[in-house]
Amino acid sequence: MISYVYFFGCVVPNRYPGIEYAVRWVTGKNGFNLDVADHKEFSCCPVPGIFYSTDKDTWLLLAARNLVLAQDERRQILTICNGCLASLLKATEYLQEPKNMGKANRVLAQIGKKYTGIPQKAEGKRKVFEPVKVRHYIEVMANDLGYDAIAAKVRRPLKNIRTAVHYGCHYLRPTERATFDDPNDPVMLDKIVEACGATSVDYEDKLDCCGAGGGVRSHVVELANSLTQDKCVNISAAGADCIVTGCPFCLLQFDNAQKSFSKDGIPVMHISQFQALAMGIDPISLGFDTHHVSAHSLLRKLRGA
Amino acid sequence: MKGPNQEEEKEVEKVFIGGLHEHLTEEKVIDESQLVPNFADEIQKYGGKDVMTCLQCGNCTGVCPISLKIDYKTRSIIKYCQFGLKKYTLGTRWVCATCYRCYEHCPADLNPAEVMIALRHIAVREGIIPPFIKTAATNLVKYGQSVKPDPEIDKIRHELGLGPIHSQDPEYPKVIREIQVLIHASKYDKLIGIQEEVKV
Repeated sequence: MISYVYFFGCVVPNRYPGIEYAVRWVTGKNGFNLDVADHKEFSCCPVPGIFYSTDKDTWLLLAARNLVLAQDERRQILTICNGCLASLLKATEYLQEPKNMGKANRVLAQIGKKYTGIPQKAEGKRKVFEPVKVRHYIEVMANDLGYDAIAAKVRRPLKNIRTAVHYGCHYLRPTERATFDDPNDPVMLDKIVEACGATSVDYEDKLDCCGAGGGVRSHVVELANSLTQDKCVNISAAGADCIVTGCPFCLLQFDNAQKSFSKDGIPVMHISQFQALAMGIDPISLGFDTHHVSAHSLLRKLRGA
Repeated sequence: MKGPNQEEEKEVEKVFIGGLHEHLTEEKVIDESQLVPNFADEIQKYGGKDVMTCLQCGNCTGVCPISLKIDYKTRSIIKYCQFGLKKYTLGTRWVCATCYRCYEHCPADLNPAEVMIALRHIAVREGIIPPFIKTAATNLVKYGQSVKPDPEIDKIRHELGLGPIHSQDPEYPKVIREIQVLIHASKYDKLIGIQEEVKV
């Protein structure tokens, strides 16, 4: 059995606690009963749009610190955010370069930490290390559990729910890193949604950016919102009841941006919340009251009213 | 895109460069003194690939979602980088959403998104630091997270039966100290101007 450690990042615990609840519920004893631990010493991944963009050395140190925590617990990191995935995964690649690893470890020594990767086996006197594994929630669901197992846990199939899935850029690109799913024709999120009994609708420019990444949302919010508007126009045209994504930052963007160009908006939720709904959770536990776009229309449709 | 100093642009005389951005071609000429030698090397220093290998095919602009919205042309910015027209890369450096579409479509395998990131590295070292960078970095050294905790959300966490966020853990000051040691060691506090927040 694979051992994981939760990596919730910044947005979810501080803005969308319902997602944290859903992830814990789906992976916990009410759901798949995975071996997932908490680690109280994790910090921000750190966010690529800030730290990777302004100082790669600092970015690598902060990411390596998080990786060391998982390494020392001998666990795989379970991220629920595309940003955390991109940042930490890229950091493990950087640290495979002996020069980078040495440089980072010289500083990490000041806080009594050392990144080596997880020791696998010893070949004679030589120890073999593997980089810390950084996994995305979607990919863990699809690969480690499988769609049949996901469907088997569904107690309340989300029939007739037309869902627009949004993968998000850092799930798909750069393509050589996004090896777990087909970057040009990804399927995992669609298949999880379908395993929950819902319909994943096709819409134009499905793989387009939400507009928030790279600091655009923080820097020129109107620009980010205008990209989101394009996506929402296409999603509305496909007649979707809700937007489902695996990235809390894309979710935050869809959730906040919609009020700038539409009155009601399309409800948006994390894939874990969607799964939890299908698995029969009481929607009140999903923290939809912290979402700006009301999930009311969707929940009403679910009740069949 | 507008250059940062238009008065200075009007004085331009000497060097003719064709095929550049509109406001440059209108004037037809730019001053030699505006060319920063070895700008391409500087970009490489911060992790960008060699901009001189750019073929100017324009695929990057064609697939850039931002270029549809504002006057931002990835190809042009790479062109400015080739010539060392540093000041024309100012101002538009922070609108790249790092969606990496340009990278996927670049026949020269240049990775324009990483060039934009290298340009950001150069910008902050010249003191061009958008406020959101400082805010996020301050949050990190204070709370260990880039997003500032919200007491209203904490209440909802409590209602849902979730534990308190990490930064409220009695052991967390140790983590904050570790973060500050790292930030101080890489001189990031000084670079971004948040020294007063870092106490190591």
